[in-house]
Amino acid sequence: MARIIVVTSGKGGVGKTTSSAAIGLGLALKGHKVVLIDFDIGLRNLDLIMGCERRVVYDFVNVINGEATLNQALIKDKRVSSLSILPASQTRDKDALNKENVGKVLEELGKSYDFIVCDSPAGIEAGAMMALYYADEAVVTTNPEVSSVRDSDRILGMLASRSRRAELGLDPIKEHLLLTRYSPKRVEEGEMLSVEDVEDILSIPLLGVIPESQAVLKASNAGEPVILDTESDAGKAYQDVIDRLLGETVEFRFLVAEKKGIFSRMFGG
Amino acid sequence: MADASIEFKGTSFTLSVLHIKTSELADIRADLVKKVAQAPDFFYLVPIVVNIEQLDCSVDYQAVKTLIEELKFTFVGFTGAVDKEQRKLIRDLGFSFVNTSKTDHSQKAAISQEAVAKEIQATAVVPEGNLYTDKVHRGQIRSGQQIYAKDQNLVVIGSVSAGAEVIADGNIHIYGSLRGRAIAGAKGHHKAQIYCQNLEAELVSINGNYWLSESMEQHWGSPAFINLTDSELTSSKLI
Repeated sequence: MARIIVVTSGKGGVGKTTSSAAIGLGLALKGHKVVLIDFDIGLRNLDLIMGCERRVVYDFVNVINGEATLNQALIKDKRVSSLSILPASQTRDKDALNKENVGKVLEELGKSYDFIVCDSPAGIEAGAMMALYYADEAVVTTNPEVSSVRDSDRILGMLASRSRRAELGLDPIKEHLLLTRYSPKRVEEGEMLSVEDVEDILSIPLLGVIPESQAVLKASNAGEPVILDTESDAGKAYQDVIDRLLGETVEFRFLVAEKKGIFSRMFGG
Repeated sequence: MADASIEFKGTSFTLSVLHIKTSELADIRADLVKKVAQAPDFFYLVPIVVNIEQLDCSVDYQAVKTLIEELKFTFVGFTGAVDKEQRKLIRDLGFSFVNTSKTDHSQKAAISQEAVAKEIQATAVVPEGNLYTDKVHRGQIRSGQQIYAKDQNLVVIGSVSAGAEVIADGNIHIYGSLRGRAIAGAKGHHKAQIYCQNLEAELVSINGNYWLSESMEQHWGSPAFINLTDSELTSSKLI
């Protein structure tokens, strides 16, 4: 049975799509069969981040409505053959999805994939609920900032009460905290919540801490998920996230600000 | 299969039995009203079986039922009819006749007035003495969630997030941080208290008196309990 992972947050702009892309590609690079689904109907973004926007013919809504088969809509990633992307529709809205049909699509995908990664839209409305409903695990993407933490808390409440697992009284969704855009320097200066602060408020296990990095924006614009940038801190941090998702224990990196050496201090680097 | 949705089972309940000793409805009413006035909350919608054993003449059964219901009891049926004809009459009128169990303690049934009065007193003071039962919630209460312990104390084993709300008619105990709102003694209970291991609440309220975060500075971020002293909220160090 495939593991269904929803990448969610409540708040927008915290890095859900970036994280979905990195997690999907990262798992595929480890040899797993992965499908990435964009649940953000109406605001197609995942295909851009994945660099396959020019290859979208049919989308998720077409499949739901029976206008296309799954195989017609799935886009095979050009870098890793075990990764497919199911893009969102640009011309429809979130009401185009319904629980029953989404369930059928996920069941069908579950037969041939190891991981189904669902990129949730922001908010707590129907679209976000649809993305999390069938999930086995949730990656709660959070910025170290009070409003993002508050929204993540709200989503955690939804995961515990509005999901299929909650409705059927099954084991609860496994929750993971993914802290993105983390800047140890700003934490030290007291401008940003620390990892400990966020963990204390949300009290769910920490999956990863992605440092604020120029590489993320560059990667997004290039359509190359940042996890492929193995030189960047963000890329390495996502790599650790993949290892932890696969059950390995990996020490957390990039939690403290780099000490400036004598030269950079002298030259103001 | 046809019965899958329902199931009949016999269960014993403690029901209040009202013994009537006269057929004079006005007298019964006067005494009942007096009794109810002593503890209106205790008697409200209490199921009542009417025992007619001590009655030496017949009574207007319909009128008895109406009287009972007017005084906000829940009428269950009659008991204590000796002869078959009387039982038949009761049934014909559409009332249920409740048989007492074989081990009927007719001696005990005649509970003295004083004993009843004592019992009423003991029951009526329950809210004051904090003898509520506990509703226990395990796990964190997240932003946007609300938990209400109706006629109970609330015990939360976990934290209450900012934006979450916990309400109890009795006390509130939080084994974790209180960052949201806590409302104790919600139905009006001035002796209700709020306990938490880390006070960072948005709002605390007891019996309608409330504090916002700014009033909690003294014990902010530490284990604290909050109660009402002369209608003023006060916080104290817990440990």
